[in-house]
Amino acid sequence: MVTQMSNKKKEYYHSVYLETDKCVGCTKCVRICPTEAIRVREGKAKIDSTRCIDCGECINTCPVNAIRIISDSLDELKKYKYKLAIISASYAGQFAEDIGLEKALKALFHLGFDDIAEQAMITDITADIIRDYIRTHPKIRPILSSNCPAIVRLVQVRFPSLLSNLLHIESPISMLAKYYRDNITIEEKLKPEEIGIFLIVPSASQVTAVHQPEGTYKHLHDGAIAISDIYCKVMDIQKDLDKDNRKINSYANGLSWAVAGQEAQEIAADDIRTLAISGIHNVIDILSNIESHRLDQYDYIELRSCSQGCVGGSLNVENPFVAENRILNMVRSSKKLDIDNNYFFKLYREGYFDVIPLEPRSIMELDKDIKKAIGLMKKVKETLNKLPGLDCGVCGSPTCKALAEDIAKGNATLEDCIIRTRKLKS
Amino acid sequence: MKVCEAAVSNSLHEHWAVPDEVKDGREFILNPPEPELVLDYEIESRNYAKAGKASSDIKLTLKQLGVDPSVLRKIAIACYEAEINVVAHSKGGKMHANIYDDRVLVILEDEGPGIEDVEKAMLPGFSTADELAREMGFGAGLGLPNIKKNCDAMHISSRLGYKTRLNFFVLFDKLINGNTNEQ
Repeated sequence: MVTQMSNKKKEYYHSVYLETDKCVGCTKCVRICPTEAIRVREGKAKIDSTRCIDCGECINTCPVNAIRIISDSLDELKKYKYKLAIISASYAGQFAEDIGLEKALKALFHLGFDDIAEQAMITDITADIIRDYIRTHPKIRPILSSNCPAIVRLVQVRFPSLLSNLLHIESPISMLAKYYRDNITIEEKLKPEEIGIFLIVPSASQVTAVHQPEGTYKHLHDGAIAISDIYCKVMDIQKDLDKDNRKINSYANGLSWAVAGQEAQEIAADDIRTLAISGIHNVIDILSNIESHRLDQYDYIELRSCSQGCVGGSLNVENPFVAENRILNMVRSSKKLDIDNNYFFKLYREGYFDVIPLEPRSIMELDKDIKKAIGLMKKVKETLNKLPGLDCGVCGSPTCKALAEDIAKGNATLEDCIIRTRKLKS
Repeated sequence: MKVCEAAVSNSLHEHWAVPDEVKDGREFILNPPEPELVLDYEIESRNYAKAGKASSDIKLTLKQLGVDPSVLRKIAIACYEAEINVVAHSKGGKMHANIYDDRVLVILEDEGPGIEDVEKAMLPGFSTADELAREMGFGAGLGLPNIKKNCDAMHISSRLGYKTRLNFFVLFDKLINGNTNEQ
């Protein structure tokens, strides 16, 4: 009993899950998964919890919506005396001009929040902090952005040698949460646990990051609500919003980081050379090059799992290109904000936003013992020679090599390859 | 005929880089034991678009065997530099990774045209790379010295008009080894 309990505790939290009843066993998810975490066996997909990084690629590709995301519901707000919403920048791109950012922000008060904070508020200060981090860590090159939780998890499972290259500072959204909880505790005379801090997020990995945080010293967020859920509610209460005259300070100027490439552009300086990559499969190629020291000439590399950046996350509603266009228009027509950044910068310098060194969760080794691993690898190579090399995925493994590995580990048999079986018959 | 062969091999220029700590270095390279696992690759001359594929595959395989990440990065650099050398300077060749449970021995053999002065090629900054190679960002003259820096023993033999053969090995001393059963 006891061991079962502790085992349960150890299991990694995932926001991505499979509704087995809906799955038709098509293997599309199997082939797109960047960590080869999915197999189809006996006609149904199965996600390996140790390999999944909640990037959401499978959700976007599934033709029958069998792969879904658990995010928190607005009912969770009832547990807290004071509720704060921290809003991801991509939220602003979801609403057509007839609703607009201001109304979309007002809506959150109607949904039960006492206050809101936009990620966009601290874009400039985050850039200052990152530039300082780059300049004060000259021995680490390139430094990799840790803004995207799916990327942090990808590095942990597939590129553990690059963990120290990740920017070891809280992400902007976590910086805000930390700062606000401490301030609200004082201003509203509340205990920290009476304050509910909820993120309004565009992607599965950000839900995961709230419930299974990496590197953070203390509890920062109480829940993550999908942008798509909020969007539905906003549509329902449009009329109330028209009557609401409350003043909203929106920070359109800082929204740009929802779009891939903008972070790298903003951080670049005469002495800082940056590069931006989006789309998880592109990121894997680049990380492999970085691992072999082929991109040491760059100081900072922005990495985003979704292909247009956060606007491409699967919890958004709007087409990513449309959302991107809206956000960039808002940024263009907005003014630079006059915020005093010194206070935040001082906190950073004092180590307030530091994180615990990130730990590997490597999935790559065939076995912990090298002799056994070599034995398995020999088997894999022998098996691979017997397979057709089409990487068709019909067997339920993503590639012929993956099938060969599954066979070597005893999780599949040569008969699973239909192409081979058919060839042998004829 | 036999006399002739001996003469040729005697006249090849050689360079050894084996630190004193690595006691079996020369012996291991001259008479390598039967490897546990062998990976073979063909390397095309001048095909920069595909350059690095063999090195990436070697790296991935060793990662799957559990080789320590910092050792893995050394191997990746040495392999890549060696592979690029064959792409940029030779008429094409072969690359083999002989995997043992304590090290990987990498062997590269190309089809010529050979290196005129091996000792000079070992100097940082010395390069005979042509314009195409330089345009691709290579040819800074750091290839061989960089391999030397990242491996535990290396040997190169060549001569103008002959094949170049490069051998180097990297020890896995920092293996992520088992014995972690108690939890």
